[in-house]
Amino acid sequence: MNTDKAYILGLVIGGGVWGNAEDVFRIRLLFKQWGSYKINPKRAADISRDVMKMVSPLFRAIYNIAISYDTSASGVWNILCEGDLSILKAELEECGIKCVGEIRKTANISKIVPKLVDDNLKRRFIAGLADTIGSTKSTHRRFNDDKQMVSFEISGFEFGFVCSLCKLLHSIGCYPDQILWNHPNFHCGNNPYDTKWKKGFKLRVYLDQYEKFGAFAFVSKALSAKENQALETEENKAIPCEVREIRKPSVTCVHCDEDSKLLPAEIRGGHYLHNRHVCAVLACQHAPYSQVSKLIKKAEYYINPFPVLVKGTTAEIKQRLESEPILKNRIYRSMDVRISDLYNQPEYALLYGDGDESGYPLAKIILAVTYLIAAQTNRLNGTRPKGNKDEIITEYLADNQFAAVSIWLPEIMTPLVVQMKSHAALVGPNNPKVYKKLIQPCPENEYKIKIRAIQEEDFG
Amino acid sequence: MKKNEISYYPEIMMFVETQLLSNLRAEGITEVCIFWKSGELTSKIRELICEFPDKCMCLDEYSRNTPPLNLDIFCVVTDGIKFEIVILEIKLRESVGLNQWSQLLGYNLVSDAKYGLLISIDAGASDRLTRILTMDADSSRIVRKKENGTEIEHLLGFMRWNTVTKNFEYSNLGQISSLSSLSSALIAQFK
Repeated sequence: MNTDKAYILGLVIGGGVWGNAEDVFRIRLLFKQWGSYKINPKRAADISRDVMKMVSPLFRAIYNIAISYDTSASGVWNILCEGDLSILKAELEECGIKCVGEIRKTANISKIVPKLVDDNLKRRFIAGLADTIGSTKSTHRRFNDDKQMVSFEISGFEFGFVCSLCKLLHSIGCYPDQILWNHPNFHCGNNPYDTKWKKGFKLRVYLDQYEKFGAFAFVSKALSAKENQALETEENKAIPCEVREIRKPSVTCVHCDEDSKLLPAEIRGGHYLHNRHVCAVLACQHAPYSQVSKLIKKAEYYINPFPVLVKGTTAEIKQRLESEPILKNRIYRSMDVRISDLYNQPEYALLYGDGDESGYPLAKIILAVTYLIAAQTNRLNGTRPKGNKDEIITEYLADNQFAAVSIWLPEIMTPLVVQMKSHAALVGPNNPKVYKKLIQPCPENEYKIKIRAIQEEDFG
Repeated sequence: MKKNEISYYPEIMMFVETQLLSNLRAEGITEVCIFWKSGELTSKIRELICEFPDKCMCLDEYSRNTPPLNLDIFCVVTDGIKFEIVILEIKLRESVGLNQWSQLLGYNLVSDAKYGLLISIDAGASDRLTRILTMDADSSRIVRKKENGTEIEHLLGFMRWNTVTKNFEYSNLGQISSLSSLSSALIAQFK
C-alpha cells in the first residue's frame, strides 16, 4: 500500500464497474445534474480536466493504465481504464475486492482498513471515495445553508461497507453527522406499502469537518465545496457518535419489506427506530448503546403497525382498505370537518383518541389535507405538494373559507381516511399501549427488535 | 492578492513529507525522519546537525565536502546512519522549460543529491521539455562516475502542484514520476 494506491483504491471502489473484458474497466461517476455539461459547462470542463490531468497521469504512473472518458448530458461520467489490469486486479483481490460488476454494491473494505496504517493513508483512500461518490450538491445541507454537507452516496445493500467507511472517517476525527441507511424504515417511514425504498445509503459529514480531515483531489469537487462553504456563516463541528444526543425519532410505520432478502442477515427482519439504532445492531464501537437502549424501551411511541400517511386517489385508498381485513372489517363513520378548524389547532394534538397518548396525529392530518388541496389545485409533483404547506392551505382558505374535508373514522383505532373529491389519504393513529404488545426482542441481538403484525384482538 | 512562489513552500513541504512518511510506515519503516530547509545547502545542513545531532550527525562529512549552493527547498531523509537529499525546485510561472530543468540538474550534480523534483505551481512543462523527458530517459537519470571511482546516480522528475486541491498532479515526465516512486526508491535504501 502507498498513498497513491490508497487514492486509486478509493476511486475504484467508489466507482469501479467491471465487465467481461480482460483489459478494460470503467470508473463511473454518477454526478447527475451536478456534473452535466448542459447544466454547468464550466464544471464539466473542470471534471474533464480532472480526469485528464490528474487521474490519467496517476494511473499511468502507478499501473501503466491508459485513461480516457465519455460523458452524457445526464451528468454520468465514465473514466475508461485500458491496458494490462493484472497488477491492479491482483491487488484489489488481495484486499478482498472482487472485480465483478459495480464494486461499491458488494465491496467489503475490512481487509483494506488494516493496510491504511496512518491517518494520511486513510485520508487518501477516503479522498478517492469522495471524488467518486462524495456529493457536494449544495442541497445536501442540514436544515439551512449554514450547515453544508458532503454526502457519500452508496448504492446496494452492503451495510458492512457503510459501517466500515463510517468508522474510518471517525478514526481520523471526521465524525459522520447522519447515516441514511438503505432500509425501508428510513426511506419509507410513512408508507408501509411503498416498494420504491431502495434508494441507497447516504453517509453525511459536515463539509467543514471533511475539509479539515479529508480532501478532494478533483478540482471540480474542491471548488464546489468552497462555493458551498461560502454559504455558511460559521464553522460547523460534529460531535463524536458516542456522546451525541439522539433526538426523539418520529413515528415510522412497519414496512412490508423489513424481511427483504436484499437486506443482510443481521439487519433483515428488524425494525429500526433511528439511524444510530442500526449502528448498535451492527455492533459499531461508536454506537450510543445506552441511548439506543432507552429508545428501544419506549419503542411503542415511535412505531406504527399501520400506515403513518399514505396518499392516493380515492379509488386507490378504497382499494387499500379492501386489501387488508383489519382495515376492511371496520365500520367507518363519515363526517365533514372544516379545514380551518383543523388548521387552527396545535399541530402536536392527537385527535379522536381514547387517552392522552393515543389518537390521530393532527400534523399528519394537516399533511394529508395539504396533499388533497394540492391535488385539487394542480400543485402536485407525484404525491408531493409543490410549495410550502402553510402557503398551500392559507391560500386555499382565502378563497374557500368554509372548505371541508371528509373524514372516515373507524370504530377502533385503525387508520382513518381524509378525503376530498378525487383524492384521499390514510392516516394511522398513535396508540402506544396497544403497540407495546407487538414489539418482540430478537434473541440473536439484544438491540434488534421485530414488530409483529397487529390483530383485532390486540385492541381488547 | 497573488501569492508568490515562497508562500507555497510550506504546503508543498508538508504534503511531500506526509506522503513519504506514510509510505515508509506502510512498509514498516518507522525510524526514518525527514528534515526540511530552505536556502544555502551546506550552512542549513550544519544547522540541522546542531538541531538534531542524533539523526543528522551522519551528514557532517557531507556538509564539509560540498560547495555552497542556494536552493529553493530541500529535505534530508535519514535514519541517523544513512541519508539522502531530495532537492525541490519550485517554479511559479506559465510554463517550465529546459532552463529550469538544467538548473535542477546542476544543483543535483553539484550537491551529489540523488533525487530532484522540479515542481511547477499550477502549470505544466513546455513542449520542448516534455519532448526531451519523454524521448530521452537519460535526461532524468544520470549515473556519474566520480574521480575517486564511486558512482553516483541522480533521479529527477517533474510534477505539478495544484493550489486548489493542494495535491500533486503527475506528469509522468522523468524517472521520479510519482511520490510513490520516490518513496519506493527511499524504501529500498532504508529497509
